Amino acid sequence: MSNASMKANRIKRTTGERTFDTVNILIMLVWAITAIYPFWYILVMSFNTGADAAAGPIWFFPRVFTLENYAFVFQYERLQTAFVVTALRCVIGPVLSVIVTMMAAFALSKRFLPGRKALLFFFMIPMFIAGTIISNYVVISKLHLINNFLVYVLPGAFAFFSMVIMRTHIEELPAELQESAMIDGAGYGRIFFQIILPLSMPIIAAFAFFAVVGNWLDYYTNLIYVTDRGLSTLQYVLYEIINRAEANSLIDFTKTSGAQARRIMAQQNNSVPTPEVIKMTVMVVVTFPLLFIYPFFQKYFVKGMLTGAVKA
Amino acid sequence: MAAITEQTHVPAMKKKKKRSIELKNVSVLYLFLAPAIILTLIFAYLPMFSNYIAFLDYDFNKGWFGFGSKFVGFDNFAKFLTDHKFYTLIGRTLLYSVTMMIATFPAPLILALLLNELRGDRFKKIVQTTSYIPHFVSWVTVAGLFYMFLTVDATGIINNLRQLIDPAAERISYMQDAHNFLPVLVISEIWKETGWGTILYLAALTTIDPQQYEAAQVDGASRWQRLWYITLPGLVPTMSILLIFSLSGLLATNFDQVFNLQNKMIRLDTDTIGVYTYYQGLVSGQYSYSAAVGLFQGIISFILIMLTNATTKKLSNVGIV
Repeated sequence: MSNASMKANRIKRTTGERTFDTVNILIMLVWAITAIYPFWYILVMSFNTGADAAAGPIWFFPRVFTLENYAFVFQYERLQTAFVVTALRCVIGPVLSVIVTMMAAFALSKRFLPGRKALLFFFMIPMFIAGTIISNYVVISKLHLINNFLVYVLPGAFAFFSMVIMRTHIEELPAELQESAMIDGAGYGRIFFQIILPLSMPIIAAFAFFAVVGNWLDYYTNLIYVTDRGLSTLQYVLYEIINRAEANSLIDFTKTSGAQARRIMAQQNNSVPTPEVIKMTVMVVVTFPLLFIYPFFQKYFVKGMLTGAVKA
Repeated sequence: MAAITEQTHVPAMKKKKKRSIELKNVSVLYLFLAPAIILTLIFAYLPMFSNYIAFLDYDFNKGWFGFGSKFVGFDNFAKFLTDHKFYTLIGRTLLYSVTMMIATFPAPLILALLLNELRGDRFKKIVQTTSYIPHFVSWVTVAGLFYMFLTVDATGIINNLRQLIDPAAERISYMQDAHNFLPVLVISEIWKETGWGTILYLAALTTIDPQQYEAAQVDGASRWQRLWYITLPGLVPTMSILLIFSLSGLLATNFDQVFNLQNKMIRLDTDTIGVYTYYQGLVSGQYSYSAAVGLFQGIISFILIMLTNATTKKLSNVGIV
């Protein structure tokens, strides 16, 4: 549309259209605020003293500011170990799955590979017929993966859907690069590591990000396969605090001697955290790290998701 | 990528030589595939076959995958098919998922269309970015937020709002009442996933040829007519695919969501098949019985996905298989 015709359109806009635009902007504003306000709210509550939060409604800002809630939460040993476990799986999981999936995608991008069709079929079938919660549990336990860190990273290491997208990407890379390398005597290993991987960095970044998100948010694996408290993940600890423990969690928080001292101090200036504000503080600690890195990756994952949707 | 294929035209001789080089060490390529094949065999095929325990009286301590356990045929299936409770469960699962589908399916479409009508690019971008945020939160956190907002305590925003409007209003503990569970499921799903769902629709919108709109405008088509005759037909393929995916999940309500939003007070009145299987199988240890329930659910889902796939293929030429 040329500039002139756009101007003409703007003049032609009727009252009806202007009303629509105004209402539309309002709806969009409400939508955006609804998406974000809950997070602002738990943030506000996590900086407010528990006693005051229980006294009456708080809307937008902390009424009686305190850092005591965070001091308590950070002393909670269970949360500390869970943080280490979650961080580990968020690193190991994505690295493993990118390697396994990329390697398979590379091999299957070779159209002359004997048995390629059959292999694709072999990988595709589980998308339609899967194990149930029980049959999965039986297999995992017979493999001695119950209460084993590997259960967090192994079962999800290969994803058919991601493989298809990566394969399409590899097929679109200029074929001459691989051909000339091959004539120069490079094997498939060299080609994969020195040509394919470096050229696939943007798509790898997108998938790695999705894998990090998946690993960070997953609590199901922990719930079903891991009972060892030393292997709990952040989401699971949060689940316990929100859904199960209620006030009991507070007792846990005060077990260490450092926490004892804090508690006495907090009692003196009337800022002892209540279960309510503890919950919100833990929610902030568990939820916000991902929210902070997400805008930086937005560019990648939107692109990644679209390639997936359009090509697969 | 037509340009690339044209460039790769090589003389016949060279092509032949290339082929022989590539075929020589083709076995290396199977090494590349090995990890994926092994992982798929272990974590996808083994569970698939061990569904077999649904036909056994499975003893967990006896050998691999039920060697030594008693074969009972369809007894486990008969057991739940004759159980009253099971029909309540199926009914509830269907009620939840059908309501969820009808209520949540149009949301991303509508919001994508509204977002598309925004004039300011900057504002559009901000709204979009903000709307994705809830997608990056676990159901555990969502449940926490909902409990917080709906509680009787001073932190219960909904009760606070009601009292702001009418100071005499009684404070209600919403989450203790099983009647509120379905609305909570719907609202939480819309809140969490609508923004994310708009991505695909917005992408589909950009593929519609702008000339169509210009031509329609010249012919005097109104904004509504353009929406009805150009935009919506252009979105049908995307809608079909999303519909197939959601229909296939009719009997599989989101375990994460239901499990987290439940609480002790309302659990028995809000169980769906998925959650029930978890409690029966892993909490109470009735492996074979739960496996049968799970298998039953899996087969129905499989039939549903095939049926929808065939139907949409016929209607709009779009399918996933």
